[in-house]
Amino acid sequence: MQHIVKNLSEYLLTFLVILTLNFVLPRVMPGDPFLFLSSDIGEEIARFTPAQEAAYRQQYGLHRPWPQQYGIYLLRLLRGDLGYSIYYNQEVMAILLARLPWTLLLVLSAVFLSTIFGTLLGSLSAAFRDRAPDRIIYPLMITMSEIPPFLLGLVLLFVLAASMHLFPLSGAMTHFARHENIWSTLTDIAHHATLPVLTLTLVRTGAMYLLARNAMTTVLTRDYIRTARAKGLGPARILARHSLRNAMIPVITRVFLSLGGLVGSAILVENVFAYPGLGRLMRESVMVHDYPMIQGIFLMVTLFVLLANGLADLAYRRLDPRIAEKRGGRS
Amino acid sequence: MNKLLDILFVVLLFCVAGCDDNQANQANQAEKYDESTAKSPAVVDVIHLEGGDWGYPTPFAHYPRGPGGFKMALIFDSLLERDEKGLIPWLATAYSIEDKGLTYRFRIRPGVYWQDGTILTPEDVAFSLQYANRYGATWSYVHHALDTITVENDSVVVRLREPQAVMLDSIGRTRIIPKHIWEKVDNPKEFTTPDAIIGCGPYTLSAYSKEHGTYRFTAFDNYWGPKPRVKTIEFVPVSEPILAYENHELDMVGVPPDVLPRFQEIKSNRIIRNPAFWGYRLLFNMGRVKVLQDVRIRRATALGIDRQELVDKIARGAAIPGRLSILPPDHVMAAHDLADLPLDPVQARALLAEVGNVPAMELLCSGQEVRIAELLRQRLGEVGIDLSIKTVDGKSRDARVRGRDYQLAIIGHGGWGGDAGYLSTHLLGDVFDQNAAPSASGIDGFEAPELAALLSQQATEIDADKRRESLHQIQHLAIELVPEIPLFYTAGYTAYRPATYDGWMNMYDHHSMQHSKLSYLERSGAAAKR
Repeated sequence: MQHIVKNLSEYLLTFLVILTLNFVLPRVMPGDPFLFLSSDIGEEIARFTPAQEAAYRQQYGLHRPWPQQYGIYLLRLLRGDLGYSIYYNQEVMAILLARLPWTLLLVLSAVFLSTIFGTLLGSLSAAFRDRAPDRIIYPLMITMSEIPPFLLGLVLLFVLAASMHLFPLSGAMTHFARHENIWSTLTDIAHHATLPVLTLTLVRTGAMYLLARNAMTTVLTRDYIRTARAKGLGPARILARHSLRNAMIPVITRVFLSLGGLVGSAILVENVFAYPGLGRLMRESVMVHDYPMIQGIFLMVTLFVLLANGLADLAYRRLDPRIAEKRGGRS
Repeated sequence: MNKLLDILFVVLLFCVAGCDDNQANQANQAEKYDESTAKSPAVVDVIHLEGGDWGYPTPFAHYPRGPGGFKMALIFDSLLERDEKGLIPWLATAYSIEDKGLTYRFRIRPGVYWQDGTILTPEDVAFSLQYANRYGATWSYVHHALDTITVENDSVVVRLREPQAVMLDSIGRTRIIPKHIWEKVDNPKEFTTPDAIIGCGPYTLSAYSKEHGTYRFTAFDNYWGPKPRVKTIEFVPVSEPILAYENHELDMVGVPPDVLPRFQEIKSNRIIRNPAFWGYRLLFNMGRVKVLQDVRIRRATALGIDRQELVDKIARGAAIPGRLSILPPDHVMAAHDLADLPLDPVQARALLAEVGNVPAMELLCSGQEVRIAELLRQRLGEVGIDLSIKTVDGKSRDARVRGRDYQLAIIGHGGWGGDAGYLSTHLLGDVFDQNAAPSASGIDGFEAPELAALLSQQATEIDADKRRESLHQIQHLAIELVPEIPLFYTAGYTAYRPATYDGWMNMYDHHSMQHSKLSYLERSGAAAKR
């Protein structure tokens, strides 16, 4: 019980520190939301008179001193109010909730697929280490993991979408289409999500493969595996039943820990495919210094990362009971 | 070894992509047909244009940056509209300017319906101007500039606080909103219900998705004016506009100069050069660097810069060299009979020799202009002006320019096609308005009484010919005094398929055809071609 309280306290402290940084960092950037609202696109110039600007500052509470703004921000957070976007003219929460599912679709699909394929290929490589399958798969995976996601996305876009017309060029669904039933809608969404998910999956599979390969290699040298071979068990059974579970511990931990970082990769991929997720929203919000929006997005990412870390902790203890026996122990 | 494999793999992927791209080109070639036999339909069912979320299209809720205002203008009409040559009557059938520019009288068109079926009255127009005067639309033209607004029979009479030549355009562009809906709204920016998009324009908003960035506009059956030639306009987001256009997902696309030859090969495309209304200029901070107040140094700088080289190397040919008269050649008020300063390094050195020692100076720019800055440093170094380059992010550069924290600076912005009144802003002021757009950045420490008097005069001159004459003299003086140096005006290209739709046109002061309301309407009645 003590270690649970200790863990929760540490997470809470981390959360508060990040929250404070989240509040301060946008405000120390040069300029403010009204500077960035000025428009020079084409010939229409948006200018705010001093009176307009003063009215908007008051409306958004930006005329108050920072400590006061921070206190109000924390109080609103306790009520679940993330504020009102200066640039997008809508409640921040509403915007985030509309975009979040699309990012989750990409991120979770990529995590699932890259974990499956990375683990399978890593296990295969480990089982045939230094032989033909390993010599083919290993350099291929190394190469794939080094390619920047946006570059890979562009190549897939050009080849599979623009040239071969197998997939749509952009978007999350066919716009203005009327679907007869839910399956038609889901098929349309899956069709549009294929290239972004494929991009993120290919980029991540290399890392998962290396981890699985190394973990499996270590496990395969253990005495109990030698015993299993001596008993006459087949290679497939040894891999699936005696090796995989032990080798999966670092892999699963890595899965949770990398969830937060995947959002960063998703930013680039969403921009390549014009996918309506948080990534594009994050980029736009930072460009225009929309403080409430920036704070809302980074708060959501923070919660996501902390949750992922917490789940990694729990998963690790569950998979390896020896960890749970160490009082106060954390990975 | 791993790095070599990476490089080889990427090269291989690009080769594959290139091969497929060639095949796609060949497929396109097979589709081409002779433009002269292609017929454009009189009415088109649907047109697809590049989307993106630019806000809910009311005059107060669309985003200030981007084309949100032009989408809003499809729903909301204004008193005047813009065609290829200038302003034309629209919701106002006639107007007059009285009391030496203090009073504007607009006769309101009868028989105009709101999209909810009610009829538009002069009271709606008066209310719209009062509302815009009070709250300020996103693209605000009349905020706090109007003194009184009254209704006299079928006319609306507007009295200004002081005469301004630009106010006809400003009042004319203000969007007319239904009084019976907006009179209850005291927070227009957050008014985003379906009632908020009831206008009297040629289109209604039939679908909008913020997260997907899609809009669908449908022709308004009871529109008072010229019939829409396009029944439905759909804005859809795309990742690569060029690819989307080639895949027939878009019906119009901006063409970068690098791919222009590929587009020109396909006869079904019509390529149009956009008016050059976006440009870069070099600012002198004469308030901080006193030597720059010597006109010989500024003239030497102009003589030492090869503006054609900037066009060739920076814009890759898709630009027009800057003119020291400031107004770009496509501007309706541009003077075309004035001799500009040519590239003449010899004369530049001679002028600098007269001055004597010219201190080294810092040239401020953003990351986007660093190549321009490098070329300027090279060329000006050859004539004897030593520059060091300071690069910051764009908005920091804008803030420093407005804070007078620079010696020389390069800024880039749009608005060069707008009312020539911006010359006052360029040359005399609004330096200290911290939240102004970069186009409003003026120069500091510039003393030129004759020029200042002319600029002041043209700002209140309502006679078009007299104003044109004043502007001509201003442009002449700008060449003589070189208060700033326009470097080049970007001139992009647009491609579309006439067989799909050929109604595109440019407003006289704007670069984008798809932003023009008249592009979607029959050119008859109020919109007849002049």
